[in-house]
Amino acid sequence: MALLQLENVTKRFGGLVAVNDVSLEVEDGESIAIVGSNGSGKTTLFNVISGVYLADEGRVVFKGKDITTLPPHTRAPLGIGRTFQIPRPFSSASVRENVAVGAMFGTLSGAISVDESLEVADRYIHLVGLTPHTDKEAGSLTPVEKKLMEIARSLAMRPKLLLMDEALAGMHPRDIDEMVAFLKRIKAEEGIAIIAMVEHIMRAVVGFAERVMVMHQGQKLVDAPTAEALRDPRVVEIYLGRPAEDETHARG
Amino acid sequence: MKAKHTKYLPLLPVSCAYFILFLIGKNVAGMWQLMAMLAFYCALGQAFNIFIGMTGYVDFGYVAFLGVGTYGMALSVSRLAGFPNLGLGVVVIGLILSFVMAGALSVAVGAVALRLRGAYFAIATVGVNEGFRYLIEGARIWGGAEGIIFSGQLTETLGRDTASSLSTFWADVMVMIVAVIAAVITVGYMRGRVGYALTALREDEDAAKVMGINVTKYKIIAFITSASLAGLLGACAWALKVMYVFPPEAFQIQYTIEAIIIVVLGGAGTLLGPVVGGLIYGLSKYWLAVVMPGFQLLIFAPIVIFIVVAFPEGVVGWVKRRAKGTAIQSYLL
Repeated sequence: MALLQLENVTKRFGGLVAVNDVSLEVEDGESIAIVGSNGSGKTTLFNVISGVYLADEGRVVFKGKDITTLPPHTRAPLGIGRTFQIPRPFSSASVRENVAVGAMFGTLSGAISVDESLEVADRYIHLVGLTPHTDKEAGSLTPVEKKLMEIARSLAMRPKLLLMDEALAGMHPRDIDEMVAFLKRIKAEEGIAIIAMVEHIMRAVVGFAERVMVMHQGQKLVDAPTAEALRDPRVVEIYLGRPAEDETHARG
Repeated sequence: MKAKHTKYLPLLPVSCAYFILFLIGKNVAGMWQLMAMLAFYCALGQAFNIFIGMTGYVDFGYVAFLGVGTYGMALSVSRLAGFPNLGLGVVVIGLILSFVMAGALSVAVGAVALRLRGAYFAIATVGVNEGFRYLIEGARIWGGAEGIIFSGQLTETLGRDTASSLSTFWADVMVMIVAVIAAVITVGYMRGRVGYALTALREDEDAAKVMGINVTKYKIIAFITSASLAGLLGACAWALKVMYVFPPEAFQIQYTIEAIIIVVLGGAGTLLGPVVGGLIYGLSKYWLAVVMPGFQLLIFAPIVIFIVVAFPEGVVGWVKRRAKGTAIQSYLL
């Protein structure tokens, strides 16, 4: 049984169909890259999975349980963690407290105490390499550090599925390579499936994802193993640009 | 990691503040009323802070909970006066009634209004206070517009001496006790799961939700706690002190505004903030009324603006930031 199943999910905002009849299956421990231009429905799809928005049509099934209508706070403990496009730290709290929130509320057991959560937090802060910043206010971190902190915070929830919104946007190429290596490592160590949006950074897609899903105008255009997807002419056209002769032709 | 025994250290400065107010009031002739007023403002700020400071939501109907608490005490004393052998029991029952009635009203208001976000919540609560006042007046419940005067029943039940010391001394002492209870609850919340959940939802409600926090539940916890304490304050500082209750006085929106100023001045979401804010506000209000009667608000407004601009996190918030890493840190929360 797949970890996550989306069955013909549709989400509309008034007349705009943000996500149009998308189906997707994610297996345990799989890593999937979602690519697509701005407005192609990637973030909305994440919001439908994490419960920020409810799907207008279709079903969302996680670990065999229908979660289509569950509110976000009951989905998280089932094992769905997420990070945001623009990091959303709890700014006035310390890095440690931020990550502890994930451990405290994001796990199914629920009974984990404050002190235990802080210990768990220290472990994940170490994992992402933020130990020197443990007691800093989260609002004072650099954007990349905030991103790492968000990852630590969602990992502390012990998710089975991690949704990473624009995981690599705005990062230095060196940081991207580091992040890709890091994601592969935690995926192996923690045994979690990761769906990451990685925009146009092809080296990251190739380095990280086993599968690529391409979204275009709310629909799933391509869903295939990475190498195959990148050879698909539709993907090439949308993401790598039209072949040069077409442009010449158009101009001529 | 903070050791267990240091967890409640921040209660020390708070308790000291009330103790000093008590000592000055008790030992310096003519100071009791002023000290009692200061203690009331501090306590009001502390009770309000549990909701407004910890959740970041503004409740413009807060005074309704004090009003309802006032009625709780008034109803107990006036309706139970005939029963023999109750004695001080009427006051105890009054406190319980105030606590429960304010709590019940907050459940009713919170269950509806706390589903709204930020400014929408604030707007929704404006009506609660006025609505409740006109309900009492219009429907003629609990004495309607005439209110309840219960000084006679209180004197009858307790005797003249007890009744008068209750209203001139013990009512104020009880306010201080409620304030310390509020402080203990605040520390317990701030250091526990509730505090983590409230900080998260105050900073970013959507992020808090996807972290697994049931935001409505925690907002309601803070709301009920804050409201029930307000009920007790109404019972002590208003009902017992003056021994009557009139709807227009019990539901004056001015007290909500004062409570907001106190919390913001001192530092929203800090433990010591409302105490500092209450002292600054109470003292300046008193002093300005003496030196420039009639001009208090004119003078006070720029002072408030100055403090809010200079210390956006409030006085205690500012000190707390400065004290990071020093020995004082463990006494501030």
